[in-house]
Amino acid sequence: MTTRLIDDSLFDCVVPPRLAGARCSGCGTVVFPRQDSCPRCPDGSMSGHVLPVRGRVWSWTLQAFPPKPPYRPPAGGHRPYHVGYVDLGELLVEGRLAVPRARIRIGLPVRLAMVPAYHDEDGTEVLTFAFRPDDEEEGER
Amino acid sequence: MSRTDDVYVVGCGMHPFGRDESVTGMDMAERAVREALADAGVSWEDIGYAAGGSDVSGKPDTLVGRLGLTGVPFVNVQNGCATGASTVLTVAAALRAGEASLGLAVGFDKHERGAFHVSAARYGLGDWYAETGMMLTTQFFALKTRRYLYEHGISERALAAVAARAFRNGSHHPLAWRRKALTEREILDSAEVSPPLTQYMFCSPGQGAAALVLARVDRAFDLCERPVRLASLAFRTRRFGSFEVFSPWLPPGPHRSPSVDAAEAAFRTAGVRPADVRVAQLQDTDSGSELVHLAETGLCGHGEQEELLAGGDTEPTGRIPVNTDGGCLAGGEPVGASGLRQFHEVVRQLQGRAPGVQVPDAPRVGFTHVYGAPGISACSVLTV
Repeated sequence: MTTRLIDDSLFDCVVPPRLAGARCSGCGTVVFPRQDSCPRCPDGSMSGHVLPVRGRVWSWTLQAFPPKPPYRPPAGGHRPYHVGYVDLGELLVEGRLAVPRARIRIGLPVRLAMVPAYHDEDGTEVLTFAFRPDDEEEGER
Repeated sequence: MSRTDDVYVVGCGMHPFGRDESVTGMDMAERAVREALADAGVSWEDIGYAAGGSDVSGKPDTLVGRLGLTGVPFVNVQNGCATGASTVLTVAAALRAGEASLGLAVGFDKHERGAFHVSAARYGLGDWYAETGMMLTTQFFALKTRRYLYEHGISERALAAVAARAFRNGSHHPLAWRRKALTEREILDSAEVSPPLTQYMFCSPGQGAAALVLARVDRAFDLCERPVRLASLAFRTRRFGSFEVFSPWLPPGPHRSPSVDAAEAAFRTAGVRPADVRVAQLQDTDSGSELVHLAETGLCGHGEQEELLAGGDTEPTGRIPVNTDGGCLAGGEPVGASGLRQFHEVVRQLQGRAPGVQVPDAPRVGFTHVYGAPGISACSVLTV
């Protein structure tokens, strides 16, 4: 089965997964996805910056109803999914949370992972990023 | 105390909010305008400056074809949830600048059913954001609410209390959409949409229209028995570090909302304190938003909301009556009309002729607040 990334510009690397942000040389602000100008200061120049992969759930919710297009449901149709912000230290990143309801909570350690989002009409599996429970970290606590 | 460039509301009109397939957005706008003109005792020919706003239901200035081709300058506004406030701001500024002595602000909309449909490109985002199911305003409100409850130790029951009060107020209001009171239990047990928010904790896109006639002080007291002074109106966009809808990333915080900036400016300009407010309108697209906005506007401290609600302080008979017409929760949110609905309700309250439950003891100071994408807020202080 062939696969592709949902948007190449989001990723620095796929194995292991790494998100591609940018950092301002002037004020140190880290943004995601990459952008060419700093939202905070007028002086800095932005350069590529690989984001941390481990963090903690900062807030979460569930998408219970199927969103309207251009949302692309997975093969088999919409099933409720979790989304949230993950505190990576230098920034918070919004993403799908591949965490079961029983475990999800603010403060849960998570790490970056790749998950299938949907399939193209030709069957190509389209991958996006998500955060999964970081069992290594959870075990150390 | 009045200054020669003071602006007053001298008339208001509103088409009922809700769902009515028999009328278009323009039909509702026309009706609201005619009602506002009649309320002020003036005719369309007397209006020297106009502004109108609609998100999806047509170009407001085409209303001149229905109201009369008088040649009046008519500015169109499309400013999201601040559309209504922007029309008032535009007209008030023109009156102060001497462009006219009488002006009109109108807002209307008629949305399709279900959650707002938004395109990623319109917000400068890649398609991936919408395709992966993250481009929903409902998620943002839930995420912001969840974090706020966590940081300030507020229970989910407080969210139900907000909605229960909204529907209670709406049940007494002839222009509201949702006119059935619901218990906190019914609200908590309604369908989960995006926890901690349930179905009845969210407003729905709907339809409606509202209009105001504004006048300079030299005309206001001849036209209206009890004109309401626009003591201030402040509009702000977000600054770095605010937590906004459709944000693939956020800085680590603290997150300061444009609501804080707009409210501070509105109170400062008006020379009143939040504690002076006796009737308030707060953007309540959902229960959580109203809770957050109570504190962001300075009407209470962060974390005090639950006690305020439990004590009945935000009821029409309480210390700070909030959303006495049921707000967006009971009225729905026709984007272009929603901000002017707030003005309509506060003006009528201050004039002692509320369409629904009247705040007792002749309130003198009113407040309105809107907030929306992509990080905008407008606040006003109205006084009699």
